[in-house]
Amino acid sequence: MFEIRRLEEGRLQMVGRLDAAAAEGAAEAFRGLRGSLILDCSELDYISSAGLGVLIELYQRVHAGGGTVTLVRLVPRVHNVFKYAGFDRLLKIE
Amino acid sequence: MVERRFLRDLGALEAIMAFVRDFLSQRGASRDATLDVELIAEELFTNVVRHARGGAREIALALDWRAPMLTLRLRDFGVERFDVTRVPAPDLSVPLDSRRPGGLGLHLVRRIADRVEYEYRDGNSSVTVTKRLGD
Repeated sequence: MFEIRRLEEGRLQMVGRLDAAAAEGAAEAFRGLRGSLILDCSELDYISSAGLGVLIELYQRVHAGGGTVTLVRLVPRVHNVFKYAGFDRLLKIE
Repeated sequence: MVERRFLRDLGALEAIMAFVRDFLSQRGASRDATLDVELIAEELFTNVVRHARGGAREIALALDWRAPMLTLRLRDFGVERFDVTRVPAPDLSVPLDSRRPGGLGLHLVRRIADRVEYEYRDGNSSVTVTKRLGD
């Protein structure tokens, strides 16, 4: 199960598991977004390469428009997956 | 070793995850260990769904536990050879603006697993992953 919650303007929360089954729906939900974003990952339990692909697509679109994507409050397990993929050096993580 | 068959379809992912979770919870694995094995299973499974040409309707996923080592084996039938151990690692230094999606799944498996082996015989493919779970 994966859900995106809008916390406030420019701040979204990813909840659950961003896996291959959820990736298409997540990509569709992110597609309409423009401008800088903060993604609260405190309730993101799991992410796979499919989920990382969705975030790459989001980042590329926002960055092309001059914005930034910042990931905050990653749980250690998910943070490790970002590290394995080299994303911790490329994405803004706080 | 416990083996189950699953449809070669992303819709089977949930059932695969449930299989992995049930197997490991019955053996007292930690949540983090379970998530590692789920990720390995997902990446290997989605790889065959997306990339294996032809192929039988079902794949076979087997789990074996001899503490502290877990073995996961995914078999795919009637497919072309695709040695996952020989897929080059992605260039992780490429800026995200230039990054194309894909290529990360098998990299994650290799980072998380202790060992990944590939076998191909008579049109059937087998990937065996071993991982030490916990202390």
